[in-house]
Amino acid sequence: MTPDTIYGMTGIAVFAIGLAGALCAQDRLRRMLALKLCSVGAGFLLVVAAWRRPPDVPDPVPHALVITGIVVMVSATAVALALIRRLQTLEAEDAD
Amino acid sequence: MPIDPLILSLFAPLFGAVAAFLFPRAAAVIGLLAVVSICAAVPALAREVLAAGAVSVALGGWAPPLGISLRADGLSVAMLSMTAAVGLLVSCGALDALRDARQRQYFWPLWLLLLTGMNGVYLSTDIFNLYVMIEVIALAAVGLTVLSGTREAVRAGLEYMYASILGALLFLMGVGFVYLQIGRLDFAGLIAAEPSGAMSAGLALMLVGLLLKSALFPLHFWLPDAHANATAPASALLSGLVVKAALYIFLRLITQMPMPDEVLITLIGALGAGAVIWGGVQALRAERLKLLVAWSTVVQIGLIFIAFARAGQGGLSESWKAAALLVLAHGVAKAGMFLAAGRIKDEVGHDIIRDLDRSPMRPTLAQFSFALAAISLIGLPPSLGFIGKWSLMEGAMAAGYWHWVAVTMIGTLMSVAYFSRVLAGFLRFDRVRAPVVEHQGWALADMAPLVLAVSAVSLGLLAAPILSFLELGYPFGATP
Amino acid sequence: MTDPLILFDLLLAGSIVALAVAVLSVRDLFTAIVVFIVFGLLSALAWARLAAPDVALAEAAIGTGVTGALLLKTLHHLRHFSDGQTQDAARDLTAVQPVPMGVTVANAAFCGLVALGLAVAFLGAPQAGPGFDALVSDAMPHSGVAHPVTAVLLNFRAYDTLMEVVVLLAAVIAVWQIERGLTEAPAPALGMVWAGFARLTLPAIVVIGTYLLWKGAEAPGGAFQGGAVLAAVGLLLLLSRLYVPQPSHRGLARWAFVLGTGVFAGVALLVTGGGRVAFQYPPEHAKTLILLIEGLVTISIAVTLAALFHGREPVALNAPESRHDT
Repeated sequence: MTPDTIYGMTGIAVFAIGLAGALCAQDRLRRMLALKLCSVGAGFLLVVAAWRRPPDVPDPVPHALVITGIVVMVSATAVALALIRRLQTLEAEDAD
Repeated sequence: MPIDPLILSLFAPLFGAVAAFLFPRAAAVIGLLAVVSICAAVPALAREVLAAGAVSVALGGWAPPLGISLRADGLSVAMLSMTAAVGLLVSCGALDALRDARQRQYFWPLWLLLLTGMNGVYLSTDIFNLYVMIEVIALAAVGLTVLSGTREAVRAGLEYMYASILGALLFLMGVGFVYLQIGRLDFAGLIAAEPSGAMSAGLALMLVGLLLKSALFPLHFWLPDAHANATAPASALLSGLVVKAALYIFLRLITQMPMPDEVLITLIGALGAGAVIWGGVQALRAERLKLLVAWSTVVQIGLIFIAFARAGQGGLSESWKAAALLVLAHGVAKAGMFLAAGRIKDEVGHDIIRDLDRSPMRPTLAQFSFALAAISLIGLPPSLGFIGKWSLMEGAMAAGYWHWVAVTMIGTLMSVAYFSRVLAGFLRFDRVRAPVVEHQGWALADMAPLVLAVSAVSLGLLAAPILSFLELGYPFGATP
Repeated sequence: MTDPLILFDLLLAGSIVALAVAVLSVRDLFTAIVVFIVFGLLSALAWARLAAPDVALAEAAIGTGVTGALLLKTLHHLRHFSDGQTQDAARDLTAVQPVPMGVTVANAAFCGLVALGLAVAFLGAPQAGPGFDALVSDAMPHSGVAHPVTAVLLNFRAYDTLMEVVVLLAAVIAVWQIERGLTEAPAPALGMVWAGFARLTLPAIVVIGTYLLWKGAEAPGGAFQGGAVLAAVGLLLLLSRLYVPQPSHRGLARWAFVLGTGVFAGVALLVTGGGRVAFQYPPEHAKTLILLIEGLVTISIAVTLAALFHGREPVALNAPESRHDT
């Protein structure tokens, strides 16, 4: 057993858990958390794919891709959370 | 220093978006300038493609697989032209349709960022780059969806956001598997790849992500509300253009990858058939005009996927062309139809289909545009939609796929039925007690939907040159 | 032969999966977010173990830090606005309806099957398979920087990175647009001690952020990590009320948001000519140009992330707002 197998499986498991949450979660915030889990799972896969048995250095390209993915995900999260806040306010106004 | 039209079509909307965001008061002027400059760049690019077959630039001088290269062939230029032309007309329509200063201020930067993303998708040859581009499109598109600020629009926008993020993450996971197997991300690498478990997993993840983004039944749940509740120009952009980006990537990937399994193809076709039937039923039941138009988008997407599927193992090239034609036809016609529906709603004051024939106000030009767009979407000759549907059915008949012909015919009949619900209302005058007023409309506001609808019908006459243009640079994998 | 590190790996992997399950299953949302933050930090640790320090830094700073702050702020907002409601209405607001047991089971089974399929595909793929290793090491001498990840981000795949900055710009425009005219939940006030702490740590964080950026050229770090650390300064300033966004700052903020995108795209275009294509920096100026882009992009990222946290566009309170307009 090597670290890449272990963490590769971890990534796939985390992605699947996130997928289950994204499909089934009812609470809006929780659904966002589930999507974020998916993105970490995808990050795991790329980081694992870049790993080389020491003393070889890992492939830097997937690392750059994951960094890009993280920044893209935080942008998407910010927009989704803004929508959640806005919707909550609109619904609270209507309920009054 | 002459700027490469390829680069210009990407950077003009990007700088336009930056400028429109910095100077909100001049946003409309800046936005129009940016769109016009793309409209100037695309014909120049088309000339280069006509001369050379395909044009490509390795950005930064780093050739793939290390770097990213942009490539324009017949299909990309056709999509770029459709986007630029529809974009210009919708922009003109937006000048009048957006009355709220705040909406105007945010519409332009978001729309120009959307345009950057769309053009980026059409020129990209790298799957990770495609992932970043679909995220640019997604964020800008969600921003446009909720522009009206109503509760329904925000709720639909949030659903759209969830679907977009999930679709993009499935795509990203697929990119991970492709890298794992072949260690590169460019299209050339995909073509050369041997079939393997990881490649199949990667492509399956990417394709499912794209199905979610392009709203193929039963993953269409987010689309009708999002498209129906946006303001008219935003709806036209979302339905006419945004969905096409995912369809285009799907078309590209499926032609680049090793031949997919017959079972898979039949499954995609079956989902397309489901979309045609289910979307048709929902369109028949829709109470509001914009919702009906949005459901008709679901139907058309299903039809495009049937065109993908009916290829089977033989006659591939023809079927891709039918799909590409349907994509172009739907882009033009649907943008026109949503703008027309927006004009009708503006003039009449509501868009409840049942009551349209009770209104003494008749926005004739908008109704005429709506009818023309419906002709193309139903697929009556000589419209572009007709040519697309015809080449779809011709191919299916030649290959003996009678079930796909049957589904297409049923879909056509249903579209006649649901559009008749609207068109009948336009023509009935006996239910109006007050004297009927024919509203002639303001020229510019009615110009955009009218030009779009007329083009959707008359472009069918130019189908032959369009078809031969699509083949330039061999986008469909035919041997040179 | 058992490597003791393998035991550590197994333990860490097990905790990460368990925390992922916990994020979705704990009842209280606040707890879920806290568990998520721990999950993110452990994932970053795992990535550091896989020799990806840049990614680990980015995940810890942005994926966990900034995202966690955004989530907590949203939760604060949601709780504030559902306080006045009765219990029933509050339940409606957070839209929690029990999911039928059958659906949950079917969904779990489906996702289990997906995971199984992906795991089989993963195990069948070549270990430490082909990659860009050789290409990158050949190109490094011409990249202008010494750290491979920075070279990929700002030179070999600079186009991707430009578009990533564009995504951030799109996000901030969308957020300003979405939240226009939104009344704010009263800010969670920092206590005296925390405010003092914030005041003391601010200069230190600025130093750390600048250092990360500077080191990016030859060691792990760079624009995104540096930007996130500087954004933390912004968050603390906002939370401690040392800085309150004013409507008159909007113009400046707009310039700060687009600074990175504008300069990046401008440089990419200006280097063309003389046989060079877009993004092709002249080798003798590559290092300078990359540092310039990186520095300005860092400022944009920091300001943008802080603005995403703050949310609303600062507008005058009595400005006429017409929200409902269809």
